[in-house]
Amino acid sequence: MSMSQEEIEALMNETADIAVPAEEVVVEDDTQMSSEDISELVAASDEKEDTSQAVPQDDNLDDILAGIDGITEDEPVLENDDIVEEEPVLDNDDIVEEEPVLDNDDIIEEEPVLESVPQSQEISEDVSAMLDEQISKGVYPLPVEKEHKVVNQLNEVAQDSEEKVTKIFDVLSLVLDENANIEKNIKDLGSFVEKQITLLEALSNKFPNVAVLGENLELARSLTSISPDTCKTISEENNQIFVAMELMQFNDINRQKIERVMSVIKKLSQYLNGIFEDDSDRAEVQIAKHISGDSSEALDEDDIDSLIADFGN
Amino acid sequence: MKVLIVDDSSTMRRIIGNVVGQLGIAKEDFDEAEDGVVAWKLLSENTYDIVLTDWNMPNMNGLQLVQKIRGEGSTHRSVPIIMITTEGGKSEVITALKAGVNNYIVKPFSADILKEKLDSVFKK
Repeated sequence: MSMSQEEIEALMNETADIAVPAEEVVVEDDTQMSSEDISELVAASDEKEDTSQAVPQDDNLDDILAGIDGITEDEPVLENDDIVEEEPVLDNDDIVEEEPVLDNDDIIEEEPVLESVPQSQEISEDVSAMLDEQISKGVYPLPVEKEHKVVNQLNEVAQDSEEKVTKIFDVLSLVLDENANIEKNIKDLGSFVEKQITLLEALSNKFPNVAVLGENLELARSLTSISPDTCKTISEENNQIFVAMELMQFNDINRQKIERVMSVIKKLSQYLNGIFEDDSDRAEVQIAKHISGDSSEALDEDDIDSLIADFGN
Repeated sequence: MKVLIVDDSSTMRRIIGNVVGQLGIAKEDFDEAEDGVVAWKLLSENTYDIVLTDWNMPNMNGLQLVQKIRGEGSTHRSVPIIMITTEGGKSEVITALKAGVNNYIVKPFSADILKEKLDSVFKK
């Protein structure tokens, strides 16, 4: 769990007061730090002599880093390709292809095969259909193909999300740029209206009997408020766009979560492969083939005796 | 004022860039790097007034970058650094502060928080 900004700042104050070497700092509380907490911690840390002295001893830092390394990216990460190569891949196509398939011409020429080939094809189709049915029901897992691998899918999700967010960001940036242009044009228009008012006032004073000058002056005066009002609206919209841009931090946070899940899956895969692989040359123990049995309850001795007696009759 | 934004997510770099832009810093005055290696290269070629860095990045992470900047012989030891990361655990914050960051922001953050932290760093 991460800490909030307030908690971080509170922590910063606490740690500054303690001022102990890195290895003496026992860090077990994993709650989110708040902004205030960070500020307090920063303020406290500033009381130390200078920035260079704030740098911990290498040994202490190594200890801290050793703990951090477990979380961050310093650990070796397996490439997708490595896992793909190590895993046995079976799919429906393989099963179908292993079956002997003969052309219709061969069937006509050789009568004995004529009966068996359609049966083989039918069986193959039946098996394929059955597998598809079982997969669709969720009884069998999806075949191990690239598009079904969890890590690949997560990687695609992360990449696709990053691309889409970039596009959304482009759109928002474009709107901001357009708003800036509109704002500039409206200010120019407002400036023009102000000049028109000055001109019309002069003309109206000079020619008070010309009604149209007075009418246009009133109209121009009524337009003066449009420019600042529109600029204010645009500014408010821009603020909303900035808020939307801030909210898009979710993508970076989610991407990092996905990357951590991918890392765990890769390590788990590596671990399981290590456990199950057998590279020894020892002869394997003979394993009996088990029948599937039925789901009915086991018979007791009397029932069995009764059945034997019936069959004996 | 020159600002260096270090984050492996292009979206995050743009978000941070927007906030920095709202503070009146022109786009030409901030550079972006997708990891610590690129950031260190930019630092070797330019001088920056502040570095805003993520923690979790490929190749060289943010903590390693901070250690490199604050390391012996570095010509950027005095440059202010703000770490902006999803890592909000107590141990992470302490580790970052001990490595030499001047302030710490946990994602997701608001523009106001970043502005406040930038102001506090520049006031000192």
